[in-house]
Amino acid sequence: MLDEALVAQVLGAAQRGGADFAELFVEDRVSTTLRLHQGELRDARDGNLFGAGVRLLYGTQVVYAYTNDVTASGLLDLARQVAQARGAAGVTDEGGAGGLDFTRVNVTPMQVAREHPLHAAKARKLALMRRAHGAAAGVGAVRTVDVTYLDMVQRVLIANSEGLWAEDERLSTRIACTAIAQDGTDRATGSSNPGAGRGLEFFEERPPEEIGAEAARIANAMLGAAYAPAGKLPVVIGNAFGGVIFHEACGHILETTAVEKNASVFAGKMGQRIAHDCVTAIDDGTIPGAWGALGVDDEGMAPQRTTLIERGVLRSYMVDRVGHLKTGEARTGSGRRANYRYAPASRMRSTFIAPGDRTPDDLIRGVEHGIYARTMGGGSVTPGTGDYNFAVNEAYMIRGGEVAEPLRGAALVGNGAQDLMNIVGVAGDLRLGQGMCGSVSGSLPTDVGQPHILISEITVGGRA
Amino acid sequence: MTGKKLNRTADTQLSLAEAQAFLLERARSRGVQLEVFAQREQHTGVRALKGEVTSFQLSTQQGVALRVLRGGAWGESFTENLSEAALERALDRAAENAELTAPEAGAALVDWPPPPALDLSGEGLSGVTVAQKVAAALDLDRVASGADPRVISVPYGGYDDSVRDWQVANTSGLQRGAQALEATLAVYPLLSENGQSKMDGEWQFTREFTQLDPTRTALTAVERSAALLGARPAPSGAFPVWLSGRAMAELLGLFAPMFSGRMIEEGKSPLAGRLEQLVAAQSVTLVDDATLPTGQRSRPFDAEGCPSAPLTLIERGVLRAVMHNQGTAARAGVGSTGHASRFGLSGAVSVGHSNLFLQPQADQAEAPTGSFSGIQLLGVSGGHAGAHPVTGEFSLEASGFLFERGEQQHALDVFTVAGNILDLLRDVQWIGPELHWTPMGTGAPDVLVGALSIAGQ
Repeated sequence: MLDEALVAQVLGAAQRGGADFAELFVEDRVSTTLRLHQGELRDARDGNLFGAGVRLLYGTQVVYAYTNDVTASGLLDLARQVAQARGAAGVTDEGGAGGLDFTRVNVTPMQVAREHPLHAAKARKLALMRRAHGAAAGVGAVRTVDVTYLDMVQRVLIANSEGLWAEDERLSTRIACTAIAQDGTDRATGSSNPGAGRGLEFFEERPPEEIGAEAARIANAMLGAAYAPAGKLPVVIGNAFGGVIFHEACGHILETTAVEKNASVFAGKMGQRIAHDCVTAIDDGTIPGAWGALGVDDEGMAPQRTTLIERGVLRSYMVDRVGHLKTGEARTGSGRRANYRYAPASRMRSTFIAPGDRTPDDLIRGVEHGIYARTMGGGSVTPGTGDYNFAVNEAYMIRGGEVAEPLRGAALVGNGAQDLMNIVGVAGDLRLGQGMCGSVSGSLPTDVGQPHILISEITVGGRA
Repeated sequence: MTGKKLNRTADTQLSLAEAQAFLLERARSRGVQLEVFAQREQHTGVRALKGEVTSFQLSTQQGVALRVLRGGAWGESFTENLSEAALERALDRAAENAELTAPEAGAALVDWPPPPALDLSGEGLSGVTVAQKVAAALDLDRVASGADPRVISVPYGGYDDSVRDWQVANTSGLQRGAQALEATLAVYPLLSENGQSKMDGEWQFTREFTQLDPTRTALTAVERSAALLGARPAPSGAFPVWLSGRAMAELLGLFAPMFSGRMIEEGKSPLAGRLEQLVAAQSVTLVDDATLPTGQRSRPFDAEGCPSAPLTLIERGVLRAVMHNQGTAARAGVGSTGHASRFGLSGAVSVGHSNLFLQPQADQAEAPTGSFSGIQLLGVSGGHAGAHPVTGEFSLEASGFLFERGEQQHALDVFTVAGNILDLLRDVQWIGPELHWTPMGTGAPDVLVGALSIAGQ
């Protein structure tokens, strides 16, 4: 552990330029990546990310600096550099915030491992990959299979000039399987990528065979599929990773990072109806073992379960320290960063639409002519406008309330503010899916989630 | 946190050069074949909003990435901790990984011939003050904010610069080093009118700070965003499409992996087995050139140290070559094209483009757009999920205008454009004279194609 006196000295030196607030973030992260292609281990890579960042606040102005040199002299050099960044060094004396009496945050670890990735041999990890590979290779028309195993252990220290001292260990494991089915020149891909903030015991709950079989199932289902129709249609979206629609359409523009810049269509709409009353949406950092869980956020605050939308009414944004200063909204433990190279920003954790009272069959039966988007790819949003897109990996026509033929190439596009009102049915089968979310403070593990939902009308970007 | 893991304050951090020498010496003494890629990057970023600097970032990042070759198999690791103990651990991990991975035919460490001389640093940034950098970010915000009363915020963009030094060395005797500098401006103003909000942007890349032009960058961004106001729903169906150079270059960026020798040998490219075949219209010539003096991704040598040289991938519609690193080239029976790539220190060595561009047609300055009816495509987004290099298919969010008989009618609400990149390249009917570059390292002129699928209302 870094010495408290050194940390206090660094924070003090950093504040010499007259900053209102100083924060030190130190990170030591080890990771392993293994890639199996056609049954052969092609890539094996270990890594050690190691560095520290100092953030200063002058009012709401942020000055941030980072370095890999986490020695006493390296940290003090960084602090002096950041203090001079605005060209106003010497405003306070050398003592600055030195002599801080730190108060340790009582962190409840949210990501714990019974079979810790650091203590498991690579042969064990490889064996898990081979099980996924074996369940996909040669199934139906599957000709090519890639399996990637990833684990990460991130140890962080967060200390600030208010005397906060927090330490946390975050860890995650994930297996991603991609299958390519081929028939002549026709090709289709399927993938399955579950992960968790847990050790290798996660794969007892999600056996690798299931992961491989799911990738192969999608690839085979989509082989020979016709192109999706183009135009506005009703769409039933599957659960789990289907929640990427809320993540892109609404989640990003409920982060104060967008709200504070007036770059959100939901700015100034607190307490107003922004969605159909069947929609309740939550961002939760407190689900033990979740991909998006945190013992503390990257500003040292305990995460919360935050109700964003309650029966269609906007109840909260996701708020970090700067977001609080700029909007006046209470912090929600949402300050996150990919690593020490980024200043924290308000970001999602595990974000999902709460279960409703319908069933998936019920929702599908209500559609005369539309699309069943069963599994999703990724998506993106333009924060200022709320225009978003996401790709459907596995889609089917719905005719007369029945799931019919498979479809390929179905992207969905729309506008968050408009489409929230069009979510008219929510089933009860909530599940979470795991993804990497990219934004101003880097790429972070986040859960998306929802039960099956029915959107009355959305633009389907097909070709037929 | 377990205390010992962060208790490294007493550990001496070596310089990059010392770390590289230390690792090569250790590898030689152990009889290990090793490649060391070392990189140091210094960055400054300034963000401004409403006339004030909101964020100022200074950073230095450095580290080493290792590849050990043992029995024809590669093992990799990287570390940003440059203490001797951490470097030893990284060497151990890479060696351990090489024991686990499958041998790859033709894998070798090579002492390549000297690379071409490229000046990628220009005048440097040493004479540029912090105040000048701050002024560039403030100018972007000020000009964009005042350019149009419909601007409600300038939420994204700013000034960034970086100086990157990198070296590649191996136990076969290779020792290469290079430096590249870049300064960029980017700005995305948000405009609103009659309840409709639109945001587009502009960026500028240069190696000479004095060439940056915040006023022009900001005005162009506002003009682009304003043009999108008054958008109406797009029609659905197959339409002739006039792709702006930006949209075409964005598509090239999404599908560049099709030209990767690694993707081809793993059966993940629709171009596998199609060398010397006609794969595009005869007007299409596609080049990757890492030696362009002003290219954003220019490099004198690739991630393995192999010298860079221009490579024509498609010549008048015929697939002439694909991109290779040392290993994929050996297995394909050709020489490396100098396209070994690495995504930062943490990425594996693979195959990737540098400056990939569709050659403009200088003799076709007059666009046959006087009678054009269809969709003018300004840009595409969502490519990380909606574009599939394995099949060539795409279905992407798009922005653009409706054209009728050569007249721009109105902007279009969010819509999608869908097709197959190889069908699109075969369907090219006209190529413009001026190249537009994207931050993805791809460039293209305006292009007309016969038909793409549009989905709107």
